[in-house]
Amino acid sequence: MSEIRSRKSAKAIIFSYAVYAVMFFFTFMAIYPLLWLAMSSFKTTQEFQLTSKLALPEIWWWKNYPDAWIRGNFASLFGNSIFYTGLTTIAIVIFSFMAGFAFAKIPSKATKILHKSFIIGILLTLQSIMVPLFLIVNAVGLYDTRISILICYIGIGMPMGIYLATDYIKSIPDSLVESARIDGAPYLVIFGRIIFPMAMPVGITLAILTVSGTWNEFMLINMLASSESIKSLPVGIQRFSGALASDYGKQFAALVIGLVPMLIFYLIFRKQITRGVAAGAVKG
Amino acid sequence: MKGISSKKEQGISYWILVLPAVLFYFAVMTFPTVFSVFLSLTNYKGGSLFTKGAITFAGFKNYIKVFQDSLFYLSLKNNLLIVLVSVLGQLPLGFALAYILSRGLVKGKDFFQTMIYLPCVISSVVIGILWQSFFSAHGAFQEIMQFFNPSHQWSMNKAPMIPVLFVMLWMYTGTYLIIFLANIQKIDPQIIEASKIDGAGEGQTLRYIIFPSLSGVFVTSAILAISGSLKSFDLLYIMTAGGPAKQTNILSIYMFDKAFRGAPDYPMANAISTIMVLISFILIIVIQLLEKRFGGKEE
Repeated sequence: MSEIRSRKSAKAIIFSYAVYAVMFFFTFMAIYPLLWLAMSSFKTTQEFQLTSKLALPEIWWWKNYPDAWIRGNFASLFGNSIFYTGLTTIAIVIFSFMAGFAFAKIPSKATKILHKSFIIGILLTLQSIMVPLFLIVNAVGLYDTRISILICYIGIGMPMGIYLATDYIKSIPDSLVESARIDGAPYLVIFGRIIFPMAMPVGITLAILTVSGTWNEFMLINMLASSESIKSLPVGIQRFSGALASDYGKQFAALVIGLVPMLIFYLIFRKQITRGVAAGAVKG
Repeated sequence: MKGISSKKEQGISYWILVLPAVLFYFAVMTFPTVFSVFLSLTNYKGGSLFTKGAITFAGFKNYIKVFQDSLFYLSLKNNLLIVLVSVLGQLPLGFALAYILSRGLVKGKDFFQTMIYLPCVISSVVIGILWQSFFSAHGAFQEIMQFFNPSHQWSMNKAPMIPVLFVMLWMYTGTYLIIFLANIQKIDPQIIEASKIDGAGEGQTLRYIIFPSLSGVFVTSAILAISGSLKSFDLLYIMTAGGPAKQTNILSIYMFDKAFRGAPDYPMANAISTIMVLISFILIIVIQLLEKRFGGKEE
């Protein structure tokens, strides 16, 4: 009896080691390129070119970082990214829950067609509107302005926001709204005092999804911004792939500077981010 | 009297609440979508949209131009390769990893999940430049290959789609890991326990309980893979910009080049984007029909 058990557990132990080996292999594959990047960012360009690409730096050349920061104009890039991401997120969360509340709790004939048109928007890709957006923004004279980028970001985020907000507010009991109505409360007050505070959990999920999407957005702002002074982090970093590509030390330092904010954000909110990704995928 | 004023208040509140969302959405997405289809049927050459004669009707000329362009088929092929890597690479791998984590076969589930999903949250611009350097002639990949075969001369030009597909696999497997993990955890653990008591092995549990209850998730993931492939732009635009010699072109870059590189051909670019939307709708419908026909019963 005990012999059988111990033989079984020997097999189980080998199996368990194998499973761990698989998991560590894929984890290593996932983070090695990032570790390689971090390591290389401490080499001088000369050292990077002349010595092994896989070795640790001989001298830890931290000066790449201040150099890259100045060359990349990172202070301005960070400012702009925070501006776009912050305002977009606030606007999307508030507008989504306003409309979501109206769709879910205020009877109206318009709801059916409006709500459906937002849901179609989830399926539309940015590619399908890129060229017309560019032409329209030019036609109304807003090319290369912060405001046009902001308006586009808010509009593009609406479908997902409306979907999440409406879905959630529908699950709030009607009786809550009805009893407030009987007490004579206007809908706008009900929204501000009761619904919006109750919707905070989903509001935070939506905010986190919007922050990570907007912070990393590249295609649109690449098309709409040409002045250095209004560019965000992703478009700004792009210059390190073109003209400055051969200056490896600074290039790698710039990439690290570019990924650190999202890395910190992810490590803090990883639970909410993964939950949001899983929830967002089910909508299909 | 109270009834009337409250009815009125109801209508006004409705529109106050709905209007900001509707305005932004219609201006940025709905109108441009319609406008895009419209433009694809015209001869618009650029310049002011409001000048008389700037826009003349062209029928399906632009679509014919796209279908006669060999670059369109090359780009389409690369898009399909990306879908294949997702469906045959990211999905099974993501599922396998999610399965290992969900069945409690290893400790530190949170750690593994966090690390494997990590590449996905980083800006694709950073990722693109990183891999461009990694695979370049001065990069680390050359050295890794030479460790195994000292005479190896690596070059992006031989089979340029392979590194690209590898990076896609690397970046997005974590997404499917998360989707599968969340859904495996939704399966009632009592059902799995009961099957264990009835003597079902790990393989049988997988085949008769986990697979059937995830059929819907596989379909969703396949749809995600298709729309993801058609959406992808940033990573390739940064990493290869479609080069060398257009070998890694995909539809979105093909469209971008028509509109923004060299002499702009906006109508043709819009024809391409309309075709992309149609392709994704058709593929999604096909998958859903297949699921209805052959798929396992959900719930």
